[in-house]
Amino acid sequence: MISNLAVLPIVIPMIAGILLAFFHKKIPLVRSLAKILTTTNTLVVLFIWLYVKENGAVILETGGWEAPYGIILVADLLSITLVLTTNIIGIAAVFYAPASLSKKQEEFYFYTFFFLLITGVSGAFITGDLFNLFVFFEVLLMASYALIVLGGGKVQLRESIKYVLINLFSSMLFVTAVAFLYSVVGTVNMAHIAERVQGVEQKGILTTIGILLFFVFGTKAALFPLYYWLPKPYTVPNPVVSALFGALLTKVGIYSILRVFTLIFIHDTDFTHTFFLWIAGLTLIFGVIGALSTNNIKLIVAYNIIPAVGFMLIGIAIFNETSLSGTVYYLIHDMIIKAALFLLVGAVVYLTGTTDLRKMKGLIHHYPLLGWLFFLSSFVLAGIPPFSGFIGKLQLLKGAFEEGEILIVIVGLLASLLILLSMIRIFIQAFWGEKDETVTVNKAAARRFTLPVVFLLFFSVFLGVGAELIFPSVEQIADYLMNPEIYIQSVLKE
Amino acid sequence: MLFAVFFPLLLACLIPFLSRYKHKVHTGFFVLLAPLSIFLYFVSFIGHDFEPVMKSYPWIPSLDITLNFHLDGLSLLFVLLISGIGALVTFYSIYYLHKSERLGHFYVYLLLFMAAMFGVVLSDNVFVLYTFWELTSISSFLLIGYWNHRERSRYGALKSMLITVFGGLSLLGAFLLLTVITKTTSIHEMIQQADLILSSDYLPLIMTFIFLGAFTKSAQFPFHIWLPDAMEAPTPVSAYLHSATMVKAGIFLIARFSPIFSTNEWFFIIVSGIGIITLCWGSYMAVRQTDLKGILAFSTISQLGMIMAMLGFGTEAAIFGAVFHILNHATFKGSLFMIAGIVDHETGTRDIRKLGGLMTLMPISATLAFFGTFSMAGVPLPFLNGFYSKEVFFESTLELNNTSLAFAEILRTAIPYLAVFGSIFTFVYSMYLVFGTFRGEKHLDQLPKKPHEAPIGMLIAPSILILGVIIIGLFPNLVNESFLAHTASAILGEAYHPHEIKFWHGFITPLKMSLVVVGVGTVLFIFRKKWSGVYQAIPGRLSMNKVYDTIVNGTKTVSARITNSYMNGSLRRYMALILAAIIVVSLGTMYLTDGFTIELHPDTLADIKLPEILVAATMAIAAITTIFTRNRIAAILILGVVGYGLSILFVIYRAPDLALTQLVVETITVGLFLLCFYHLPNLRPRTESIGFKSVNLIISIGFGLLMTLIAISAHSSKWYSTIADYFIHTSHDLGGGDNVVNVILVDMRGLDTLFEITVLGIAALGIYGLIKLRAKKGAE
Repeated sequence: MISNLAVLPIVIPMIAGILLAFFHKKIPLVRSLAKILTTTNTLVVLFIWLYVKENGAVILETGGWEAPYGIILVADLLSITLVLTTNIIGIAAVFYAPASLSKKQEEFYFYTFFFLLITGVSGAFITGDLFNLFVFFEVLLMASYALIVLGGGKVQLRESIKYVLINLFSSMLFVTAVAFLYSVVGTVNMAHIAERVQGVEQKGILTTIGILLFFVFGTKAALFPLYYWLPKPYTVPNPVVSALFGALLTKVGIYSILRVFTLIFIHDTDFTHTFFLWIAGLTLIFGVIGALSTNNIKLIVAYNIIPAVGFMLIGIAIFNETSLSGTVYYLIHDMIIKAALFLLVGAVVYLTGTTDLRKMKGLIHHYPLLGWLFFLSSFVLAGIPPFSGFIGKLQLLKGAFEEGEILIVIVGLLASLLILLSMIRIFIQAFWGEKDETVTVNKAAARRFTLPVVFLLFFSVFLGVGAELIFPSVEQIADYLMNPEIYIQSVLKE
Repeated sequence: MLFAVFFPLLLACLIPFLSRYKHKVHTGFFVLLAPLSIFLYFVSFIGHDFEPVMKSYPWIPSLDITLNFHLDGLSLLFVLLISGIGALVTFYSIYYLHKSERLGHFYVYLLLFMAAMFGVVLSDNVFVLYTFWELTSISSFLLIGYWNHRERSRYGALKSMLITVFGGLSLLGAFLLLTVITKTTSIHEMIQQADLILSSDYLPLIMTFIFLGAFTKSAQFPFHIWLPDAMEAPTPVSAYLHSATMVKAGIFLIARFSPIFSTNEWFFIIVSGIGIITLCWGSYMAVRQTDLKGILAFSTISQLGMIMAMLGFGTEAAIFGAVFHILNHATFKGSLFMIAGIVDHETGTRDIRKLGGLMTLMPISATLAFFGTFSMAGVPLPFLNGFYSKEVFFESTLELNNTSLAFAEILRTAIPYLAVFGSIFTFVYSMYLVFGTFRGEKHLDQLPKKPHEAPIGMLIAPSILILGVIIIGLFPNLVNESFLAHTASAILGEAYHPHEIKFWHGFITPLKMSLVVVGVGTVLFIFRKKWSGVYQAIPGRLSMNKVYDTIVNGTKTVSARITNSYMNGSLRRYMALILAAIIVVSLGTMYLTDGFTIELHPDTLADIKLPEILVAATMAIAAITTIFTRNRIAAILILGVVGYGLSILFVIYRAPDLALTQLVVETITVGLFLLCFYHLPNLRPRTESIGFKSVNLIISIGFGLLMTLIAISAHSSKWYSTIADYFIHTSHDLGGGDNVVNVILVDMRGLDTLFEITVLGIAALGIYGLIKLRAKKGAE
């Protein structure tokens, strides 16, 4: 019975999404229902998280078809932690949405798409089946396509089409790669694949297919040199949509890399993981260069997604317990702070009516709380202690030093400085400076925007100052990832 | 000790509420509570029998991050400095900052800084130290940008933050390496493992990282450039952060780690070398400044250089001199900053060219300034503490140990001369500062305000400091045994007993050096106008500021250029780049891992007969033809041929359900495309260049090749039986159906199907919204 817990984080939002589609015109009802449902789901996930933390992974053989033949859902501590983070962001999004979206956008199924996006993301985290992962990718991507074009004008459609096409391409490549893999190992269950890949010591063709999968996930994760589709399209939809995208979509990609390259393709790390280290370094460099290149504040935040992914890849590339705990911690941190930043920047753009940094000044005199929240989140993002970013970065860089990888640490430290520069520039230019008396001040709107951001930043601070309450779990995850046989045994029950 | 760090933080939380009553009670009075109580608490530790204290509180034990507070001689000196000067500065600020200012903000930042600074000097855990280190940078940023409506304030704030955070990150690098090597996060445990660190391969890197951290914070050449710009902060802040405390954090760091590194010769070369250069450069540049606080800023740079140099010397006398000077510098420089603030406050300007002759108008300030500057200049008078520390400094430059490195040897010989050179300019700018402001002609017409003596409240704090100058001057051994000796011991790593400091040692070399300084300095000061042309040559146009500006502005222009060069918004370009990367890396992987295998077993391959060849050839031709078609409708119809061809292949290979699906999909898509394309204009003729076309051709062929090669290899590497057998065997018994495909779809992998249906549902709603919402927009 208890194994059914694994399916709840997928099914609840799916049903919620479908349910809300029926009342889509009754906005007040939909809003309250969405708030209730997303909170309920979060509580359920929290319960599962506590259960998994105590008793180990919950494994569900869907439809009673035993592993490795049927689809297996694996709610282990890693996946359920990420699902929990996803739902926390979901709460912030649902509470922010009414202030930010137009009535029409809400009417045209925003909440349905939102819940189905959560479904797809949670499913991708929980599934233990490579083909099923593809299916959940489809769910989350289709929901994201619907969200990105929602109520859009010309620019939005023009940018969306790039997003859609490149992602479609990567999905095609995904399913092709799964087919190739099936041809070689004759299975799609991840634990089973892992076992079989190990059985033939990951011969060359398997490494090649692995690299192909890396490109698939790398495209979703926005790694160098695959991220071109990300920055602009992320700036065109409504901030709440950007926040969901920035927080969740690329993270599903990096999660997949984390899973696949700590479980399946781990027998030629000299080759694969060294290659990842290069990609991580280049991603960091080109990402921050992008973030420094523009005056569009939404674009600055969007570009900042890229170096963060680079940081997480460092941990996978280094591949020891310290660095993996860094990746997981950074992943949780980054999901939250990216959501907060997109929501914050969305508020700034809403209140000033422009995305151009050069047209803003002295906002802190009108909106002090907003200003300080932005200030705080800049330091959270740059990984300055005692906030969440620091703990992850600390472990990542320590892990790199343990393996003697000096260069990547220096790149990582410099990138942190430049990330801070890109953010503090916004603070100095937009928030500092003379008070602009000519603008109309909308304090009420600012208040509605800030509450969800405060909610998210609370977690960012908590993950730093209260790291002791979370880090041991993350350490446990890292240990678990370093010992893939635990996963394999728990799924295949050998 | 937890109290010392967290009391200011707690108070900072209350300040926003307390500052509401600022019109009744100046917020500063509440703030005063923190430094004063902490000072009184810690001052009781002073004594001959002082023993280091260690207190430990858990924070993140699973990461080895614990709040270990370690009070030894070194931290005691700094704690007293921070709280003592902090109390005076706070008191001073009550009169300096008018109640109409945003006092709440000011004092929150100040308390934040105070707490951070206590944290830096008390932490034994490197990561806690780093946390507080960055917090000092952040609070300094906020304080410099306090008057952020000014362009210069914002510039200075950003500059100081970038440079000090850069140093902070490099410090983090050092701490990480030290932790990895020693497997501990505690500084005193690292010191016990000094040999391990010194023999590590990473030693040069660790030292570089630590030096970068220390030199940026303590404004050492060439990172000193942020300090003059930091003078945009309100004067109490300059006196406190940018002269007495924060800038000494780098010194503290070097002192803290010197038990580990001081035996290494490069420690001597770099720390002393940079220190002595900073001393000379700072004092040389100070003479050129026109802003009172500018002079004081360069003066601070130069004095910090002097302390740094002494730490680099590493001899007992030098270390004691450094400690002694840390204390002395805080007294006279703190008071001089406050007096500069008074002058600014009362006259409305800090431009020394407009000032002059204020002695008669502001006699008390002028008297204090005379004591302060003469002490700073090291004038040989028995009541000025600056003279003693300068004397110790000169003495220590003469007692440097012989070294084996030739380079170090040259430095050793040069240091005494450089010390005298730097001190001469120190003398010049000190005289310039005091005489330029208080003597000479009055230019009252140029002053924005009519000058008069400052209110008594503002004079109290600098008077107390000057009193310190005189007391230490008269009784130079007053606190040595009971206080400073402990500090020196902590830096040296062994018990140290100070020699008695005397005014008259006899006519020895250090005194001669002092006399040279005074003599040459006086001449240079009097004929200042005659030689000021030298600044045209050195530094001339060279300036570290320009380097900084170029880098910071460069990050923007260069990154914009790089990014715009490939992020041009063209989907085709993006796809080409992505595909090229996939092709190169995947083919490379295949080659390097020897991944290509080909095994053409007749039993795993179907027979190829004429119909298959015909269908395949038709498909290939159709695919190629689409590229050359000018007409959309024709193109889609020809593309349809490929799809239908595929379904014929499905039929041939006995997969009727797939064939049917393919037929339906193909028909619907072709139909839909036709409907859409009816509304679109004709394709334009292709006009791309040959180069562009050939790149595209290479990419297409490359990708096709890649897929083919992997497909062949994957087919040739069937090492395992597939799970399909299980499905076939259990389809009837467990699935209740004989059509295994159906059973897979609805039962075995029903979850996939469920969510594929969901995908379709989302697509339908999405398209519905896309059409409806836009149509309504158009109608408006």
